Amino acid sequence: MIAALLLLIPFISALALVVLRPAQARPIALVSTLASLAVVVFAWISYAGGMVLHYDLDWMNAWGLRFVVGYDGVGLLMLILTAVVFPFIIGAGYGQQHDRPAIFNALLLFTQTFLFGVFLAQNALLFYIFYELTLIPVFFLLLYWGGENRRNITVRFFIYTLLGGLSLLFGLVYLLIQSGGNGDFTALHSLNVPGGTQVWLFWILFLAFAIKLPIFPFHSWQPETYYMAPLQGTMVLGAVMLKMGLYGVYKIVFPIVPLGVEHWQSTVILLALIGAVYAGIIAFRQSDLKRLVAFSSLSHVGVLCAGLFAWNTYGISGSLYQAFAHAILVVGMLYLVGAMHERLGSTDMNAMGGLKGAMPRLAALFLLVLVNAVALPLTQSFVGEWLMFAGLWQVDGWLTLLAVSTIVLGAIYMLYAYQRVMLGPDRANQQLADATTRDHLYLVPLIAVTLILGVHPGPILELVDAPVLQLLSSLSVN
Amino acid sequence: MSALVLLSVLGVVLLYLGLFNGRGILAPVGILGLVAAFILFAGDWHLESPLFGGLVIFDTYARSFSLVMIVVTVLLFLFGMDYYAKVRENVAEHYALMVFSLVGGVLICSFTNLVVLFLGIEILSIPLYILAGGKRDSFRSGEAAFKYFLQGAFASGFLLMGLALIYGATASFDLPAIAAWSAVATNGGNMLFLLGLFLTLAGLAFKVAAVPFHFWSPDVYEGAPTLITAFMSTVVKTAAFAAFYRFIANIQLPGAVENMLVVMTLFTLFLGNIVALRQTQFKRLMAYSSIAHTGFLLLAFLGTDQRTPDVLFYYLGTYALATVGLFVVLSLAKRAALGDENIRIFRGLFRNDPWIAIAAMLMLLSLAGIPLTAGFVAKYRVFVLGIGNGFLWTTLFAVVMALVGIYYYILVIREAFTPKDQESKELVVAPINWLVISLCGAGVVALGVWPALLRL
Repeated sequence: MIAALLLLIPFISALALVVLRPAQARPIALVSTLASLAVVVFAWISYAGGMVLHYDLDWMNAWGLRFVVGYDGVGLLMLILTAVVFPFIIGAGYGQQHDRPAIFNALLLFTQTFLFGVFLAQNALLFYIFYELTLIPVFFLLLYWGGENRRNITVRFFIYTLLGGLSLLFGLVYLLIQSGGNGDFTALHSLNVPGGTQVWLFWILFLAFAIKLPIFPFHSWQPETYYMAPLQGTMVLGAVMLKMGLYGVYKIVFPIVPLGVEHWQSTVILLALIGAVYAGIIAFRQSDLKRLVAFSSLSHVGVLCAGLFAWNTYGISGSLYQAFAHAILVVGMLYLVGAMHERLGSTDMNAMGGLKGAMPRLAALFLLVLVNAVALPLTQSFVGEWLMFAGLWQVDGWLTLLAVSTIVLGAIYMLYAYQRVMLGPDRANQQLADATTRDHLYLVPLIAVTLILGVHPGPILELVDAPVLQLLSSLSVN
Repeated sequence: MSALVLLSVLGVVLLYLGLFNGRGILAPVGILGLVAAFILFAGDWHLESPLFGGLVIFDTYARSFSLVMIVVTVLLFLFGMDYYAKVRENVAEHYALMVFSLVGGVLICSFTNLVVLFLGIEILSIPLYILAGGKRDSFRSGEAAFKYFLQGAFASGFLLMGLALIYGATASFDLPAIAAWSAVATNGGNMLFLLGLFLTLAGLAFKVAAVPFHFWSPDVYEGAPTLITAFMSTVVKTAAFAAFYRFIANIQLPGAVENMLVVMTLFTLFLGNIVALRQTQFKRLMAYSSIAHTGFLLLAFLGTDQRTPDVLFYYLGTYALATVGLFVVLSLAKRAALGDENIRIFRGLFRNDPWIAIAAMLMLLSLAGIPLTAGFVAKYRVFVLGIGNGFLWTTLFAVVMALVGIYYYILVIREAFTPKDQESKELVVAPINWLVISLCGAGVVALGVWPALLRL
């Protein structure tokens, strides 16, 4: 029931928006996402551990594709993340002028449907189908509503991501043949792929997620795409879509090619951290607020990936926890970018400065969002980062040092950005509106989530702990 | 038998209708006849009936492919109602020749004797030589017809020589007899047989436009009238592939021939996809994309097991559906752009007519092989066959080429969803075209979601 509702609520609302084209599309979309959120909250409350399977239907049985949907703790966390973030993504549309709002919001809801599908799928091919489908609405969001030079950037983004996708498909088909045509995750997880094969199969499977995240050196599509995309599109990409990469690694790469992971673990961690430091340095040099967010996201994702590949309870749980924190953070930051754009007509930081005088409340909200970005204690990010570093420490001390340095870098570029936007002499010299009710309604819940989960991370960590322990113990048995 | 006779008579009837000024009812009569033939074919489903003293057998395989070809021809006739609305001369001949060509297609799906294979291919091709030159006042169309005829005649020569050599080696034209002969291990190295196979496969490869026998296809696709191009890339391609597979499925192929097929697959995949990247004319793009799809279909040939016919059938059926719809969209856009065929003419399609743009997008996504469209299921099955039968590296190459393929289809989608830069004529969509496009667009999604709808 829950799975059906999650897939149908956004899908039917989206179809209704496309067909009926109501003038007030945004409230309808908002109600739809809130309904999904309610369903997810219900699922969370009634979740009692283990794997919850909802449907198990034949589709193309002979070819390994079956419609199996359900979730375990990690899947549920991802569902919660998606459901929590989407009302904010739709809500960010207030204050933005869009051509064809009905189609725009419908595309967002289609994306949400497919994302739910990705996190619900318990069959590898079903996962793949939803994974690729998320690209289609995003492609049109970028192509039709994107900024400058969108035509080329969108196509590059699409092809780049599909390169990973097709590589994943090839790997899955290969595994499918090995398992005798059974594509369910349970069947694939119990495969014992020979060690030599795992070494190359690891990259075939991981490439998709490495591009999706993205980690260095597969990141070149990311900054331009984030910058060019419409604000809500960037939110979708940064807050939710890249989490598919983490989830995919957890769901596919770890259990199926553990020996491959062991073989490449330090390489991947090193690449991810190099990317994180590199992106942090570039972020420092940005003069555009939206670009800054893009690079800071790239930097955070590097740490997320490194934490995941620490491959122990601390690392994996921390990374998944931090994925949630990062989603909230990205939405908050981007909303602020949008708020600045609304007031000043641009996101160039050179044109800002001293805005605190004109808008003290917004400056305060900005700072509260920012403390999460720099992983100050009592924020959600602190918990996640701390766990990841603890996990990395068990792998290698020097790598941990590298990872910690990204936090320092993060603090530098974030606070420097704050300084350039809010402090100093007033360069804008305009009468600017302070935070409105809408801004408060938007940012206060986000900040509240951050602080509550920063102080009391238990509920989320409980979800993750059991499946992660189970994964790791099943691997050590093999 | 009755269906075959009905189709032949239908062609003659259409010719007579043309003589007696029945232009208005040409397409309806044609469609009626095709539907009747469809019912006759579908009527004795699963009945194997040897005809003409065992030269032809309508087994499930032959019937299914015939049915798909008939359905696609019906769609093309519907399209023809609008396409030929303003043409004064020779319309009846066009319809009739298409039906005759279809008869040839049906024959080569169902042959059990190599003589029928040759006859069928000639019956299929000769009307096409005329049809390619259908626009008599167009230089390009004449060029297309001439090129197609010359190269086609050459390929027929190869085919005939090959068949003769096979006869020389095996002393029979009957497929079962040849199959039995080739199954004897000592006969594998027979030079005469080997040479015969090479030449026969070359002749068949010409029909499916596999590299290096593909040179005719871009020029012919571009020069021929759009409707005929659509006919060639769907019905003719389906028939040729059905015949190709029927031929090689029964015969124990010697290793050298298998290697030749692998090489041909690799080159076809490579050339079709890479050259398509540089195309700006939509018809040429479709020609190279057709070559690329030939490559994927050949991959299904390599890993032959009992699932291959099903995969071929599904692939060809869904490919035909998407292609017909796209050619209808092309002809509409071309009319609005006053004869231009550059992919730029699709610009502004979404603003102009959102539904047509969405349907075109679905068809292009299907050709590209994006999930939930039929094209994905088709490609996926081909990959499974390829890897399952041990062609790991060839399949990996095909996967990479599929990515290249996605790129050029996406460029067309991008045009459709980009606003127009200068004002040009509005796109006018006749209801009948709207119907065909909608059927094709909805069809590729329906078949992608329920692949079991289309199977042998």
